[in-house]
Amino acid sequence: MAEDSDDGMDAFIDKFKTERYKNAFDENNWEEEFDKIPMFMKKAPENFDPKEYPDLACIQALVHDEDRSPEEKAQSLKDEGNAYFKEKNYKKAVIAYSAGLHLKCADEELNIVLQTNRAAAHFYLGNMRSALNDATAVKKRKPDHLKALIRGAQCCIELRSFADAVQWCDEGLKVYPADKKLLELRTTADKHKRAADRDARKAKAKEKKVLGEKEALLAAIKGRGVKLVQSSKPRRHSSDSDDEDEGSSSALAQLNLDGLSSKDATGAQVFLDEQGSLHWPVLFLYPEHQQSDFISAFCENNCFIDHLVVMFGEELPPWDTDRKYQPQNLQLFFEDEQKESLYHVDLETSLLKTLQHKRFFVKAGTPSFIVLVKGSSFSKQFLTGKRIQGL
Amino acid sequence: MLSDSEAAELLSFLTCHTRLDVKAQAMECILGLSGHRDGRRFLHSKPDILSALFEMTSDPSVAIVKDCFHVFINLSADETLHKVLVSQVCVLPSLLKNLVDPDYLFSDQICTILSNLSRHEQTCRTVYPVLQEQVGMAKLVEVFCDEGYNPKANLHYIGPLLSNLTQLQDARNQLMDRQRCVVQRLLPFTQYQTSAVRRGGVIGALRNCCFDHAHHQWLLSDSVDVLPFLLLPLAGPEELTDEENQGLPIDLQYLPEDKKREDDPDIRKMLLETLLLLTATKVGRQTLRDRNVYPIMREFHRWEKDVHVSATCEKLIQVLIGDEPDPDLENLMEVQIPEDIEEKLKEAYAKEQEELNKEAEENKRQEDRRTDEMDR
Repeated sequence: MAEDSDDGMDAFIDKFKTERYKNAFDENNWEEEFDKIPMFMKKAPENFDPKEYPDLACIQALVHDEDRSPEEKAQSLKDEGNAYFKEKNYKKAVIAYSAGLHLKCADEELNIVLQTNRAAAHFYLGNMRSALNDATAVKKRKPDHLKALIRGAQCCIELRSFADAVQWCDEGLKVYPADKKLLELRTTADKHKRAADRDARKAKAKEKKVLGEKEALLAAIKGRGVKLVQSSKPRRHSSDSDDEDEGSSSALAQLNLDGLSSKDATGAQVFLDEQGSLHWPVLFLYPEHQQSDFISAFCENNCFIDHLVVMFGEELPPWDTDRKYQPQNLQLFFEDEQKESLYHVDLETSLLKTLQHKRFFVKAGTPSFIVLVKGSSFSKQFLTGKRIQGL
Repeated sequence: MLSDSEAAELLSFLTCHTRLDVKAQAMECILGLSGHRDGRRFLHSKPDILSALFEMTSDPSVAIVKDCFHVFINLSADETLHKVLVSQVCVLPSLLKNLVDPDYLFSDQICTILSNLSRHEQTCRTVYPVLQEQVGMAKLVEVFCDEGYNPKANLHYIGPLLSNLTQLQDARNQLMDRQRCVVQRLLPFTQYQTSAVRRGGVIGALRNCCFDHAHHQWLLSDSVDVLPFLLLPLAGPEELTDEENQGLPIDLQYLPEDKKREDDPDIRKMLLETLLLLTATKVGRQTLRDRNVYPIMREFHRWEKDVHVSATCEKLIQVLIGDEPDPDLENLMEVQIPEDIEEKLKEAYAKEQEELNKEAEENKRQEDRRTDEMDR
């Protein structure tokens, strides 16, 4: 839909976004750099041999000759700067123009040209702020200086201040209503501005969508009466909303944090499917062998036996050296830390039912269950001294 | 009506030097006259009274000047007085000069007068050249679009003025000057919430511009990009799919959920008419199809309750989803319609309008019945 400008200006300017001009001065301290360069020192360095550095001697003579008026010197520096500019030596051009401006000569027109040209040199060096400052200064002193008006608009575009760019163009168009460059820049700036507005709307819509999904998830979990427990290091969630919102949004934050901090670092998190069912990441722990299994998406409507039959179906896990972890032998428990109890889970129950148990607390967003083999010596040992409850 | 001697006496009171209470009474009398047809007919026959009256727009008393302008607003609303106002009282140069004076207190009144004078083609043709010479369409638009131009006047009535002026080809040419930025400045005002007068005026001017099919391509191009500004007032908060969003003009993508449509049904109708005008050319039809106008119209049609506006919307949708006409008929505005068919079309159109009016009346009756029931 958008067409690039014919003169390739857009492409040329686009380059500055990615390539830093070589040998560019640091935008913030280029003025300090001047004094270090022999050619533009304020005082001639004591020792140099004019025969060895004839051009340096020449420049020195030019610049520091007391017989010449400031206007003449400034004129020479302008010419110097323009020469460097033609050679694309923008760094030196800036120095020359600055030296000219520094003389503060009485020729206002000359000063305007020096500053406008310096703005251009800064522009090609990628120093947009400096260029804009120069253009602004010129505009203040001479509101109808076309080159400064164009440059100002261009800088604003580069700096992505599109509304300002349109403003610069409109100021220019008041004086030069038919200037092609100003018209073109205005159209470009306006276009970019509208695209930026669109991007902001898009981001907002996306944010809203994500938030909505999170809220729906939390509502689904709460609505089922499933209790989430925050991790031991609660994160402070700053917000202006009231306590309830703060609670739910920090719980959401916890959900995020906890979901991602699961030991397997799979980033698995509970989610709501299209049919409105929750799928949980679930951890099965086998304390006998210090092993665990992680199911990334256990549908709440499925029963434990469904999964266990698959997990311990055809092949038993390698750590099951006694070959005793067969589905029909397994016992499932969940732990109630607070009451230091274990609750026995019927394998035929659904995950949902289990999670809804009044003493089930989902920790770190991942329900976990302890698996033992019925009647095994380990299980007898494990269960000794613990409070066991049925469901 | 006043006798000759009474008229002469009245005239003698109409000077800036007259005592304030006498002046005020004279003004009140004339204000009364200007308010009804016979009074205006009388004033029409007394150009010297009108001239003296016009001089009083420079009166030192603000209250007098206010009434004075009120009289001229009434007079300018009456087409029979246009000739005497423009040609004999010669109101235009002074009005135009003050219009663009950023400190003038009565610029709004001037806008209304000029808007009245330019409504009908005949006087418009006399007003326009003077305006173009003294002020220029470009300057008029500039003043109109600069919201802080005159702190004492909102200048909203320049909107209808522009709409009226653009009934003339030359005014449209000035507005659509490709070497300058004129018409582009009007576009953001199609959604200007604060004033329906301004909004309607701008849309009216744009609609008139779209009669010039030679300009369609340029108007739809990036140089102007009129399309989004015509669609935004018609677009609503309904969520479109990502796919539909991507195809839309940038300004219509991802509209927030509190987006409101244009309130005024007449303005909505004008917008649709403008879009329809754009579909007269092949490039217009192509552009509107490519830029995904259809989903916007689809949602709009679902929302629209006014039967007249709906009918216009349906016409637009028909063109958007219909087949391309034969190559000979590509520019619908240039198609030669045989006389007998033209007659039939006129009849059909008249019949349609009648039916729509009946439908509108029936809807109103139903609504009234419902309201009655509620009172009980």
